[in-house]
Amino acid sequence: MLYAETFQIRGGDFEHGGEVATRIKSICKDLGIRPDLIRRLSIANFEAEMNVIMHADQADLSFLVLPEAVRVVVADRGQGIPNIELAMTPGWSTATPEMRARGFGAGLGLPNIKNSADEFHVESTLGVGTTLTYTVRLA
Amino acid sequence: MWSRPSGSAPHSPIRCDLPDAQEGDRPRSKHSIVFDPQRCVGCVDCCKACPTAAIRVRAGCAVADPDLCIDCGECIRWCRHGAMHAATATSADLRRFKYTVALPSLTLYSQFGKDVEPGQVLKALRSLGFDDVYDLSAMCDMHASATDAYLSECRGPWPKISVTCPAIIHLIQLRYPDMIDNLLPIETARELAAKLLRRRLVAEKGLGPGDIGIFFITPCSAMLQSIHHPEALEASYLDGAFSIAEVYGPLLGAIKANGPVENPPPISERGLLWAMAGGEIAGLRNANTITVAGVRDVLRVFDHIEEGKLQAVDFIEAYICPDGCISGQLTVENRYAARRTVQQVVRRHGRQAGEGAAVPEEKVRAMLQEHFFDLEEHLQARPVRPLGRNLREAVARKREEERVLAELPAKDCAACGAPSCAAHAEDVVRGQAALDDCVFVRIERLQEAMASTKEPVHD
Repeated sequence: MLYAETFQIRGGDFEHGGEVATRIKSICKDLGIRPDLIRRLSIANFEAEMNVIMHADQADLSFLVLPEAVRVVVADRGQGIPNIELAMTPGWSTATPEMRARGFGAGLGLPNIKNSADEFHVESTLGVGTTLTYTVRLA
Repeated sequence: MWSRPSGSAPHSPIRCDLPDAQEGDRPRSKHSIVFDPQRCVGCVDCCKACPTAAIRVRAGCAVADPDLCIDCGECIRWCRHGAMHAATATSADLRRFKYTVALPSLTLYSQFGKDVEPGQVLKALRSLGFDDVYDLSAMCDMHASATDAYLSECRGPWPKISVTCPAIIHLIQLRYPDMIDNLLPIETARELAAKLLRRRLVAEKGLGPGDIGIFFITPCSAMLQSIHHPEALEASYLDGAFSIAEVYGPLLGAIKANGPVENPPPISERGLLWAMAGGEIAGLRNANTITVAGVRDVLRVFDHIEEGKLQAVDFIEAYICPDGCISGQLTVENRYAARRTVQQVVRRHGRQAGEGAAVPEEKVRAMLQEHFFDLEEHLQARPVRPLGRNLREAVARKREEERVLAELPAKDCAACGAPSCAAHAEDVVRGQAALDDCVFVRIERLQEAMASTKEPVHD
């Protein structure tokens, strides 16, 4: 691993939603990562960050630079996902009306992350939390 | 570094009233901003205001990195010492042409108070020594129709972003390279107007295209720069520009002397609104649009777009200046008064002209088929240079940068000459500054040195 940085995200912190994605984007630009790859990673990061803010208590988002890929691991403490297959279905959402009123909860979070990344993995334990791992290849 | 004027080249007015010729008063770089080291006092106002952190104060003088400068003119706006100015045209530039035309930015109409009509401004402009003047509002009107037509057939990426403000194009090329395809591929109204006008003059007056000099009256340094170094054209259809500020005095005199104008030329009120932020989208049929203006807000909204947000929006009108072109740094009237003037003139014209004042749709449709509005060349990204030549080197420097940043006081005081501690840390790892250019680091080191040379104290 060439580089690693961990960011904390607090559940319910809509005010700072997106800041982690922006900071990672800025690091990627400094590292000379290709713009189209940065964009894909940023879209995934933003979705993951908002997922934590909407559904979890808190999370550590780790950004890892490997020789041939960038990887993000988002480990949250929260309620967990009861049915991952359902959560991966576009349009399916448990977002409250309040969240939807803010423009979130379209049910595209996880599917969007999967589509933006080259590799995607999700693990969840009910009542404990969820860990997302996704990778964008640099080559 | 920006080019410096080779001689002292004060701007003084043509044919009598416009700026006079001075050899070497042209910027030698591709930028429009000329920097006067005699006037620079080495404060950090410009350095802090620059949206791309292009400026450093070194040895008591501001210098800009030409690769990072986007010609937005924020440095001109914030400099209290007049140390930056825009290198506009001179009367010598006018004399190169047999037939000269002034094409004023619509902002010019907003500069003389609510009672002055666009027709009066145009007449006064002609009396400064141009052979002809041309109103831009009709082209803006047609441009809006072309934008609507494009948006209705476009397949993304969304949202599309207006290219009216050249500083916005430069910002995207530099900081948001992956958003290049979000830029609306329609040429600006000012270039299209000059293209159409030149065609017409060649046909009507039997002039050669090179005999005609079309000069823009610009509210900002960015539009000036776009004439000398256009991004999506091999060469601009415009031949140069004078600033609103430098023609203001002579124009004001001529407006007063002329009085009211009989049979004023037709003006499009839909076009007039383009002088201010919100004006471009106000004329669109498509209402799924956003206006964003001002450096900080633009950066924020563009960050959002880059993160994939705002894809449900069709079109964004964006300006580096805080209220669109009426707040350009080369204008005279304060932008709030200018906004009121635009609104009053539009209201008056709306009542007089009513429906049917716009350019006929068939005409616009024919021009669309001819691809008249299309950008002639693809816009290219010019991403900021990374910290290293390859990923490993860049990562090593990034880590070093983080170590340096941790030693800095996080005050962003700019006393070192860089706009922020983060920018200074970057300069240090790039080898362009020393860590102890920071006064806080220096004091700390001095204290440590003094402490270590002191004799131990004995009771």
